[in-house]
Parts: sequence; C-alpha cells; structure tokens
Amino acid sequence: MGALGHFLEREGIPTAGISLVREHTEIVRPPRALWVTFELGRPLGKPDDAPFQARVLRAQLDMLARTDGPLLVDYPEEVEGEVDLSGWACPISLAPQPSDTLDAEVARLATWYDRAVAARGRTTVGASGLDMPAAAALVTGALEGALPPAQTLKLAVDDLRAFYLEAASAFPDPGTSKTRIAWFWDETLLAKALLRLQPKLAASDDKQHKLLASLTLIPATERHRLGGST
Amino acid sequence: MVRRLSELPEVEARHLSPDRVKCPTYDDTPLLPGKPLGQRRVAIISTAGLHKRGDRPFDRDDGSYRVIPAETPAGELVMSHVSVNFDRTGFQQDHNVVFPIDRLRELVADGTVGSMASVHYSFMGAFPVDAAQPHAKHLAGLLKADKVDAALLVPV
Repeated sequence: MGALGHFLEREGIPTAGISLVREHTEIVRPPRALWVTFELGRPLGKPDDAPFQARVLRAQLDMLARTDGPLLVDYPEEVEGEVDLSGWACPISLAPQPSDTLDAEVARLATWYDRAVAARGRTTVGASGLDMPAAAALVTGALEGALPPAQTLKLAVDDLRAFYLEAASAFPDPGTSKTRIAWFWDETLLAKALLRLQPKLAASDDKQHKLLASLTLIPATERHRLGGST
Repeated sequence: MVRRLSELPEVEARHLSPDRVKCPTYDDTPLLPGKPLGQRRVAIISTAGLHKRGDRPFDRDDGSYRVIPAETPAGELVMSHVSVNFDRTGFQQDHNVVFPIDRLRELVADGTVGSMASVHYSFMGAFPVDAAQPHAKHLAGLLKADKVDAALLVPV
C-alpha cells in the first residue's frame, strides 16, 4: 500500500493512506499515512457504524493539507474487542452424519445463505463464477482425484468460505464473527476437507499447488490444525 | 485489534514481520501541495483485491488494477485477494469497512469534499512492487484525466 503512495505522488497525484501495520509503514515511509489499530481486513474499523467510519475517513482526508512528511499519524480511536463468547454453541446443527458429504453440507446451509443475502441485500460470493454445488464438487474432486489448477481451486474455496460465513451470520443466534470463524474451522466438513487437501497440494509437482498449500489455503492462525489432520 | 507486532500472538507477528513481507524502501518521499479539501476531487484506491463480479479475478503476483465505477452497486463487489490472513467477515457485513464509498459520497454531499471521482480502483495488495509500478503509472494518467487531485489509499 505504501509503495502506491510513492508511485502516485511522484506521478502528480496527492495521496493519503491508512496503515494497518505501523512497522511496515515506518520502513516504506509513504507520503501520508494514518495508522489505525483495527483488525486486518477492517481498515475503516467497524462495519455498519457509519459515524465511526466517517471519523476515520475524515482524519485520513485531513492529512492531505500537510506537506511536512512523510507523515505517520496515530489514529486515536480503537475498536473494543468482541465479547468473549467461548461458550457459544452454533444453534444450527451441522454435525456430520456418518455418510455426510460436502455437497449435503452446502445444501443445508443454502437456506441460511439466502436469508443472509435477503437481509443484507448483497453477497460477496461470486469471484469464482461457480455456483456453490459446483465449487463443492471441485473440492471433492480435488480430494479424490486429479488436482484442478491452483487458481481455480483457490477461487472456489474462497467463495465457499464466504458462502459459509455469510450463511452463519443469518443463524438464529449468530454469535460474533470470531465465533463463526471458530465454528467454520471446528465443525464444518469444508474445513476438514481443506485440511485434508493441504498435504495433497503440498506434495504436488506443480509450483502453484505448493504455494497454495504453503500460503493461501489455510490461514496462519489455523495451521496448527494441520498436524492432526494429515 | 493490531497494535504493535510485538503485542501480537507469535504466529501472526511472524507472518507480518517486515523481514518476511519485504517492505520496499525509498530514498525520499514526495509530498505534493493541493487545494483545500472542499475543492478536491477524490478517488478511492483499494488494495483489497476488489472487483466487480464477473471481472477477471486477481491472481498471485498480480500487479494490475481493476476498475470500479462510482455507480457500481455494493452487491456487485467481490474480493479475490490471494491472502487468507485477514478478516473478510467485516467486508461481508458492510463493504464500507473496506471500500468507504458511501462515506465519501456523504462527505461530498455535505460539502466537506469537493467531488468524487467517476471511477475508483483496486489492486491486490500482495503484489510485488515491480509488478505494480507500471500499472500505477498508467493509473496516475487515468486519475488526472478524471480531474482527480487526491487519492485515498485503503489497504486491507
């Protein structure tokens, strides 16, 4: 992000950026950066909190008046941590049956996904261009047979993940985003499939499969699960 | 919440370590003067790997950008960032937490900001710097053609 500030400002476009990792910005030294302590993935701080977002945006815009940089301004507001709901239990039983399949799990979630889309009026699913049964079939096929191209698999997996988490947000007691992510990794067949797929990708001769296995399939915070799953 | 890397759990701190991320360095930093905010035309440049549904998804080491016209409905925005190491549920809940176009529109409406660009853009932030530079140079020309004189850089 900081590099773009250098590029654009040098080409004649004034810039003001947000910094999510202060240590990176201290090295790159872009023209103007507002350091925020928000979670990665939430540069404006709080979803569905327009006044909060507006204050962050205004602080970012106000830096444009300054030419005494490189500027690295600490934004004063923080987002309080979510309430600990470690005792939260998913109200929708997705406990796998002995003969359960990924397809069946996707089908069970479809009604909740539809409710989430209706409530929000939008979905973020769709980068792969696949419908969810086809994406699930791609994952199952990758586990049971030949691996598809890494990029095809990656987009299908990301769409499935978004589908699951959007669906879970419409559960009767949806918990928090943290508990829903924990639910995804603790309880779903899809997560188990991804953890089983990782070593197969790592063992592939294809460099892109190996990169998918090592970097962009399983989040760093969940990789501890790989040991017991292989 | 991300404070200093030293305060993060080890697995996350290691993942974000500047040594691993290979942050670029520059000998100097240009800072351009400009008009008062109320006369500026502002564009959003995201690095969240955003694009319209149906546009070409981002791929590994992709330094190019995607075009997001200002009138793009929120429901058309999807994300194909290669990284899995950031929260996506915020974006799923409210696109403005990543791409604050409605907030910018409000600031234009109340006169705080002069006007909004007709087109916004997104890169995919995990790009190698050399791969993005020619695209950024091209983008600067497009922004000037749209009379943009301020770019809001929003990471993910």
